[in-house]
Amino acid sequence: MTAADPMPAAAAGGTSSRRGLIVGLVLGTPGIAYGARGALVDAADTHPAELARWIVGAAVVNDLVLLPLAGAAAWALRRMIPAPAWPTVRAGALTIAVLTLVAWPFVRGYGRDPANPSLLPRDYATGLAVAVAVVAAVTAAVAARRVLTVTWPSDASRSLARRRGPGHGRRARGRGGLRP
Amino acid sequence: MIRSATLARTAVKHRRREPDTRAAAWLGVALGISFGLCFATGVWSHLAQDPPPWFTSPSRPAGLYRITQGLHVTSGTAAIPLLLAKLWTVHPRLVEWPPARSALHAVERLALLPLVGGALFLVVSGTANVAAWYPWRFFFPRAHFWAAWITVGALVVHIGAKASATRSALRRAGRSAADDTGTPRGADDPSDRRAFLTGAAVASAALVVATAGGTVPALSPMSVLAQRRPGQGPQGVPVNKTAEGARVVGAATDPAYRLVVEGAAVPERLALSLVDLRALPLHEATLPIACVEGWSASARWRGVRVRDLLDLAGVARLDHVLVESLQPTGRYRTSELAARQARDRDTLLALDLDGEPLALDHGFPARLIGPNRPGVLQTKWVARLVVG
Repeated sequence: MTAADPMPAAAAGGTSSRRGLIVGLVLGTPGIAYGARGALVDAADTHPAELARWIVGAAVVNDLVLLPLAGAAAWALRRMIPAPAWPTVRAGALTIAVLTLVAWPFVRGYGRDPANPSLLPRDYATGLAVAVAVVAAVTAAVAARRVLTVTWPSDASRSLARRRGPGHGRRARGRGGLRP
Repeated sequence: MIRSATLARTAVKHRRREPDTRAAAWLGVALGISFGLCFATGVWSHLAQDPPPWFTSPSRPAGLYRITQGLHVTSGTAAIPLLLAKLWTVHPRLVEWPPARSALHAVERLALLPLVGGALFLVVSGTANVAAWYPWRFFFPRAHFWAAWITVGALVVHIGAKASATRSALRRAGRSAADDTGTPRGADDPSDRRAFLTGAAVASAALVVATAGGTVPALSPMSVLAQRRPGQGPQGVPVNKTAEGARVVGAATDPAYRLVVEGAAVPERLALSLVDLRALPLHEATLPIACVEGWSASARWRGVRVRDLLDLAGVARLDHVLVESLQPTGRYRTSELAARQARDRDTLLALDLDGEPLALDHGFPARLIGPNRPGVLQTKWVARLVVG
């Protein structure tokens, strides 16, 4: 660690600015208070207890169900997939997962109204299947290409790249880069 | 191939998932932009749909609401994969020991509950609303609106706490901790991070393409999850509330139907039959129906200008016009026209849609249509104009 790099990457996310937080609290708390007050004053429409259950429930389901499931899926997939294909497969899996989550109420047709055929007019199950198939096919094609064409760097070249420092290794260079 | 698999296994074995602060920073910036845009357009929609006394929605540009509401739904949808990717990235940090290092740190962590829960609630409830699915008792627009204030307030707290860490994480972009320590970790591999962020962006783009066809007709063939299909509906225009659903079929088709213009500002009460209305000068306007769920459809409407009706009734000065439907009940049974909107040349009591009499589901015998109004305020089956 040098003076120019005061925070190791892993610690940076945990480093919050005390002053920034105070400014954030001064500016943000009125927003929270306005929303909470509105929800309480508007109780006939908002059902505050139910609304609170939904908000807390969303966080709990995400943290305790959705993300652990995603973690388990990533862990399992990663064991089955050749390493160069992994980033591509992960992107494809995320896309398929998100499409499926959003498609759920459409596929189930909870909101369908027999008197109004212009609402939810499509065959969403078929649409979702086609979308998933397209994403899976593109993912497989890109992943296969990566496995076949990317030369996995040998340990020697990797340590050479590391010795040269950032920006010299082929893995660190890449298109575009992250430099803003 | 075997080499890769072996290497992958080794990498997995040695991998301890560390939060990737730079990925979190990039996703945070992207979410700040999408949630910011979503919030601004959402507040705008709330003002347009339920205007407080100090606010009158402008009549021009006529298609403004279809753009702002299309942006609202699109930016919210686009944020879903970004939000999940962000929460995935920071998830290892959920459990910390000690849970808080100071009182201020405790406050910061506490504010994550309304932030994370609120953000998830907004995208879940928004998506459910687009799917016309209401698995709750609260009234969606109000709950969504107040939850948005809570979420954005918590977001401002979070941005305050993390702004400097985000700036320095982005400034160190391209530098990898693996280079410093010699231990490559998944979290600090720049090409892996790039791939992860690209994946989130691809998922976001795919979701937008899959849903935005109701707003952007060009995307419709690919929008397998769109709520509407352009051109599908009575007279080629989609419908939100049907005549049957609104329980107006009898009243709307009754030959005794009369449009009544009355109220404190009306010296001569009018009661006009459909024949009387058709005998008045008719005007055309091409205006969109733009729904809160993000879909919109433009159509050519023909009918009597509201301002002509006001003149006919001898109205000299007015504050507003209350437009009442034949609907016996319903939250949007009436809508209000501010004086400026009532006097607009394109604010019509429409009788025809694309050259044919209105279908029953589009508001036969007469409906209100005006520029830059949310769909629910384009009152159908109009029975009465109360001028105040």
